[in-house]
Amino acid sequence: MNRLTQNNTSAQHRFNLLTPLYALVFTAVALMALVPVLALVLGSLRDSPPGQPGSWTLENWANLASPGVIDTLLTTIQVACLTTFFSMILGTMLALIIHRTDFRWPNAMTGLLGLSFYFPSFILGMAWIVIGSPGGLINDLVRELFDAEANLDIYSVGGIVLVMVLHQVPFVYLTMRGPVLGMDPSYEEAARTAGASAFTMLRRVTLPMLSYALASSTLLCLVMSLEQFGIPVLLGIPGRVTVLATQIYLLCRFPPTAYGLAAAIGLTLAAITALAILLQRRLARGGQAVATTGKAGRITPIRLGAWRWPANIFCGGYILMGLIFPTIILLYTSLIKFFTGNPLTAAYTFRNYISIWESEGTQLATLNTLLVSGGGALVGVMLGAACSYFTVRLKPTGHRILDMLVMLPFGVPGVVLGLGLLWAYAYLPLPLYGTMTLIVLAYVTRFLPYATETAGARFVQLDRSLEEAAWTAGASRQTGVWRIVLPLSLPSLQSGYFLLFMAFFREISATILIFTASTSVLSVSIWSYFEQADWGMASALSILAMILMMGIMSTLLWAMPGARQR
Amino acid sequence: MGISVRDLVKVYGQSTVIKGISFDVADGEFVTLLGPSGCGKTTTLRCIAGLDTIDGGEIRINEQIVSNTATEVFVPPHERNLGMVFQSYAVWPHLTVAQNVAFPLTVRGVRDTSETVKWALDIVGMHELASRRPSELSGGQQQRVALARAIAGKPQVLLFDEPLSNLDARLRDRTRAEISRIQHELKVPAIYVTHDQTEALSMSDRVIVMSAGLTIQDGTPKQIYHAPVNRFVADFIGNANFLPVQRRGSKWVLPDGTALSVCPETKHLRGDKMTALVRPEVIQVEPGPAEQIHPDINRITGTVISSVFLGQHIEHVVSVAGLELRLFSRMPLESGSGITLSFHASDCRLLSE
Repeated sequence: MNRLTQNNTSAQHRFNLLTPLYALVFTAVALMALVPVLALVLGSLRDSPPGQPGSWTLENWANLASPGVIDTLLTTIQVACLTTFFSMILGTMLALIIHRTDFRWPNAMTGLLGLSFYFPSFILGMAWIVIGSPGGLINDLVRELFDAEANLDIYSVGGIVLVMVLHQVPFVYLTMRGPVLGMDPSYEEAARTAGASAFTMLRRVTLPMLSYALASSTLLCLVMSLEQFGIPVLLGIPGRVTVLATQIYLLCRFPPTAYGLAAAIGLTLAAITALAILLQRRLARGGQAVATTGKAGRITPIRLGAWRWPANIFCGGYILMGLIFPTIILLYTSLIKFFTGNPLTAAYTFRNYISIWESEGTQLATLNTLLVSGGGALVGVMLGAACSYFTVRLKPTGHRILDMLVMLPFGVPGVVLGLGLLWAYAYLPLPLYGTMTLIVLAYVTRFLPYATETAGARFVQLDRSLEEAAWTAGASRQTGVWRIVLPLSLPSLQSGYFLLFMAFFREISATILIFTASTSVLSVSIWSYFEQADWGMASALSILAMILMMGIMSTLLWAMPGARQR
Repeated sequence: MGISVRDLVKVYGQSTVIKGISFDVADGEFVTLLGPSGCGKTTTLRCIAGLDTIDGGEIRINEQIVSNTATEVFVPPHERNLGMVFQSYAVWPHLTVAQNVAFPLTVRGVRDTSETVKWALDIVGMHELASRRPSELSGGQQQRVALARAIAGKPQVLLFDEPLSNLDARLRDRTRAEISRIQHELKVPAIYVTHDQTEALSMSDRVIVMSAGLTIQDGTPKQIYHAPVNRFVADFIGNANFLPVQRRGSKWVLPDGTALSVCPETKHLRGDKMTALVRPEVIQVEPGPAEQIHPDINRITGTVISSVFLGQHIEHVVSVAGLELRLFSRMPLESGSGITLSFHASDCRLLSE
């Protein structure tokens, strides 16, 4: 029990509750982070599926050099780079237009971008398949109305990049918004008074000053693109555009399976993303000193002038393609009997909704989703807050290791994490496979950094003396945490809960390899319907899931004021 | 009884910030730790509070050992029965004034806190604001809440960490008087950390001047001011003129040979080159050249170089024996005019560097 008392810089304490708690948290996080990774390493050295007898082999690693895998790797990098490039341009443009010009509807636009941020990626992918696949809406409509062939094919690299860009633009916008808003206006004013036009100023002062934020956002966007599962799998499999995430999924789900090779590919992918994250953290630390003086002055907005309508069309166009159009399409598909691109000739029905209402599987999936999101997010926030308290404030022996362990799964793509858990719990004598606990475990492992970052940011801000005053007033360390630190951090904990809830609700990549009939969640049910080519049911369930999500979102925001400040 | 610090050592990484200091604070005594920033005064206070561990020595509160490196005793802060006031107030924003003040009682399981809270708030004159939130209070009011909170638990010891440095000058004077009064009423030992000499001189029974982790001087405010042990203390507290002097036979002379009568207490100091301290306010000014009238009174001729009007007096810079001296006077003096400076031998102390 000496861990807490060896520390030199902060006060020593005799026995208290925090010592066993630290041991518990440390062990839990270490197991959560290391078990799937180690299982992947072991799995990549086996020549048999998880749980089956087999022998050790290096063949899986040798197979990484096969033309198929190399091809896939190159496609992955191509798709990720293109996606990142366009997402960065569009997202940054949106941030600049909304927050730096006299654009008329900044609040509405921010709200709509927030909504599209929470639009699940695989549902967006499905909607765009309905719109742009060879048998889809646009091709069908052109054939029917003009008797011609549009030959639009969303099942292509271009299509995948389009949908991924639509999905990631809100993320870029959200990461760039803070730096754009936090810029000290005096730098820009100095440029204007020195005779620069608005565009010269943008080019020579504003963007260079945002360079750290841009670089950091680019790397995060790249990580997201590399990790992206739903969109490339949905759009890539029919068109034979295979990225690493797709290949892992195919190798595990369809015979002939090759779990070992999948593990080797998974580790490779994880290594690439981990590298990008490491670089991003370096950059973020270096960039803290630059540009944001916290003196958030009033910025004189740039006048759009003749550019007003192009800007309006740009913003409106994004919202239309990324949010409104997909929603309408899903609604339409969910209400028709047989697929046709022409809404005037379609036969309408509520059949899909009625079957969903009557389906016990869907009811179970809904219940499971609420349980996993509601309960799992609570577990995640509590664990995350505990981790942050140790890594940011108490700093006992080993706190740096704890910090690294928390961040480790962040570099592991969801499908790889799922594969790791699949390997692990096929061998470990724990009755976790096929339980909701395993799903919650996967989600908490994957998204724990969301909770530690929000809670940690708050703990760093809290003046030390607020806690010290409690100790000198007679409160033990744990009483101080309970009565002072936690109440003062409540808004951040609420905001962390909200983030986790939304992430858990949408998650599919970590679930897709580990779910069973009894642990199915809504995202998996939608996915299954779509895999069976039942567009109607998939769309109807998507619509219902999104209504449910929005309902919960507004309830959470109403009940937890802390979640609103983002 | 009281607080006892013996050979306290504190190390941060590579540097030793407290290098073995010892002092005692008796019951009811008000002791100030005074020194420039980085001298180790706040660290000393934090070690006494138990907010920092120690790396050598021993601390006792009311005869109980609370920190000892040899026996590895460490009593955590919440078991030391303290009242502490922080520089940043540290009034908890999520609690009302009354809840803040009641905290030391509620954490110790006291159910009925209203009477004690009223007593503590009455002492600092904040009773009518009991149900307010800290965000609705001014800085001075918040610091008074912090004060009430510090005394509400009826502590054995009161600790103050630069409590007035965030207040404006007028409020500082008022709160200073209040802290003195409260400490006298409670009759507990108090340690007060500051870098402000006015606070140190006006409130303390004793002042401990620190520099670079060492105690430089420990004495009453009068001793510290009038009989500083070295140039550092003299310079840090009050205004000072330092004159280089040399021994010539049985006399001390300025560089130009002018003889000085120095304080008899310091005459026996060894060394041939010393520094003489003359505070500006002890120097009297008369027009015209100097004439010796009494062996115990130094009378020296000087020339006015410049004058600055400061309201309550005028500060003159005067050239004497090739040196520059500052002095205060209410009399306006022409630049370049010849004057006589006079000060008593007992006001001219020799210091080692």
